[in-house]
Amino acid sequence: MAATAAAVVVGRPVAPEQASLWSDAWRRLRRNRLALAGAIYLTFLIIVALVALVYTPYPMAGVAVAKPYSGPSAAHLFGADALGRDVLSRVMVGAQISLTVGIGTQLIVLAIGVPIGLVAGYFGGWIDSIVSFAVNVFYGVPDLLVALLLVVLLGHPGLDKIIIAISVTRWMDMTRLVRGQTLALREREFIEAARAAGAKPLKILFGHIFPNALGPVIVQATFGVPAAILFEAFLSFLGLGVPPPQPSWGSMAADGLAAIRIAPHIVVAPSIALSLTLMAFNFLGDGLRDALDPRSRR
Amino acid sequence: MLTRGTLIYISQRLVLIVFTVLAVSSAVFLGIHRLPGDALFNEHLHGIEYQNVLHHYGLDQPLFTQYTNFLTGMFLHGDLGESFVNRGVKIAPLVLREATVSAEVGLFALIFTIGIGMLLGVVAAVRQNTWVDYVLSTTSVIGYSMPNFVIATFLLLFFAVWLDNTTNGSFYFQIGWSGTYGSIGEIWLPAFALGFPYASIVARLTRASMLEVIRQDYIRTARAKGLRETVIMVRHALRNALIPVVTILGPLVIGIITGGVVIENIFGIPGLGKEFATSILNRDYNIVIGVFTMYAGLIGIANLGVDLLYVVIDPRIRY
Repeated sequence: MAATAAAVVVGRPVAPEQASLWSDAWRRLRRNRLALAGAIYLTFLIIVALVALVYTPYPMAGVAVAKPYSGPSAAHLFGADALGRDVLSRVMVGAQISLTVGIGTQLIVLAIGVPIGLVAGYFGGWIDSIVSFAVNVFYGVPDLLVALLLVVLLGHPGLDKIIIAISVTRWMDMTRLVRGQTLALREREFIEAARAAGAKPLKILFGHIFPNALGPVIVQATFGVPAAILFEAFLSFLGLGVPPPQPSWGSMAADGLAAIRIAPHIVVAPSIALSLTLMAFNFLGDGLRDALDPRSRR
Repeated sequence: MLTRGTLIYISQRLVLIVFTVLAVSSAVFLGIHRLPGDALFNEHLHGIEYQNVLHHYGLDQPLFTQYTNFLTGMFLHGDLGESFVNRGVKIAPLVLREATVSAEVGLFALIFTIGIGMLLGVVAAVRQNTWVDYVLSTTSVIGYSMPNFVIATFLLLFFAVWLDNTTNGSFYFQIGWSGTYGSIGEIWLPAFALGFPYASIVARLTRASMLEVIRQDYIRTARAKGLRETVIMVRHALRNALIPVVTILGPLVIGIITGGVVIENIFGIPGLGKEFATSILNRDYNIVIGVFTMYAGLIGIANLGVDLLYVVIDPRIRY
């Protein structure tokens, strides 16, 4: 009882501080024009991907809705591909694939990296040794090649296989970050106070340490999304992505590259969409890092 | 420079590379042999014919025997087996030749990356906060965000398509590869596409570390001695600014090797990366194992080379 009362007294002046940290970060983020542009573009992209669920100008697999290889026109803004499919519709559906892979991978990475990082950093000892060893092993291998091999070993191509393969090769960044944050935070007085108050390790980890590491975790997750999108594009480009006729920006670029001389628009549209998306996530990540952790500003 | 300690270090690392190759090839071998189906599936073989082919590849033996045969073949005879698709083609000489092709392209890309990256980094540092600096910073963000196949696409659009159209076909880049090792006229564009993203990282790093170094006292001393500015920058500043750049060489080399998978496919270069993608799509699993074994060795040796480079650049480092 006494402990709770003390916590409330200590907690009250802390609360407005907490609120001002996030509003402060928001204020700093709004001033970063590149990050803001990135956020606006990504919002637009998410809307496009959602709209594509219910509406595309033409069916994404609809063959011969236009003259094959025909350039951009009023009816087909991005032109048509080798099979006469509408490129705009396919780019819109491709946005779904990219965002699903990017965000899905990060959710798995968070689900793996956060608990492992917290436990390794907090308890140390042999658990930490094993985790650190595994992280270093995975950093030593060429991630793209391993992801390629994993897609093959997991069997037939499919979105779930791709997400698993990319997660397996990208979980280390988050684990290492959370472990580092936990190592620093566990020595702080408020953690000691929580421990003295009799809080269980689970409560300390997820109730006290994790909320305080949330800023860097958000930044890391934001940078992780474009990395995963890039991997998916690579896999699709090599023909190991989602099976046709499902479009992906990577496979569309590979198809378009074959016809680069006669119909450059086929390769240009998905390439630009992909580059803009990666850039937007990177700018947003930069902005979030500066906003959430002003000390790290370079 | 080549002290006894260094030699011991090199031999330790070489042993480690052998073990890495063993581990990687075993993992790929066992992983792949669990998979259903292979290149033979497409041939619709039956009865005795099928048994003969299985026997030819030793696939009728238990997995453990296959594995020990694979290991003794690899380590004692340098034999990685035979292709499933092109029957009779030995894999070891094939992937060895392809590895040298990939290494050739990678080396060009590396020279380009480090050369251009450092040059731009130094220029940006010396002309800090001028338009040169801003243009370079912006380009490096773009270079870093673009996948290399997108960079290759835009390079091809410019050098192959646009240049062809504007000069009426008298001067443009022709996609292709002659002989085993190609020619300078065919290598430069893929090497450029492969190195561009990393050149921008090298440029950023060089800029940052140059800015730190040129404020040091010994640079002021060099100026006070009346040395020419270029001598100060190249001999005194750049050499020390190089050390942080060398630290990213390891990831950079891995990046160039993996990037080669895509670039070699776009430009039709008969290297390890092209073979890798083709063999996976063809389910030619023996080649997949061989290519991965080759990659493990290549990456191990490249990393060793990078570590030895530290000693050359920074005399304080000793192994």
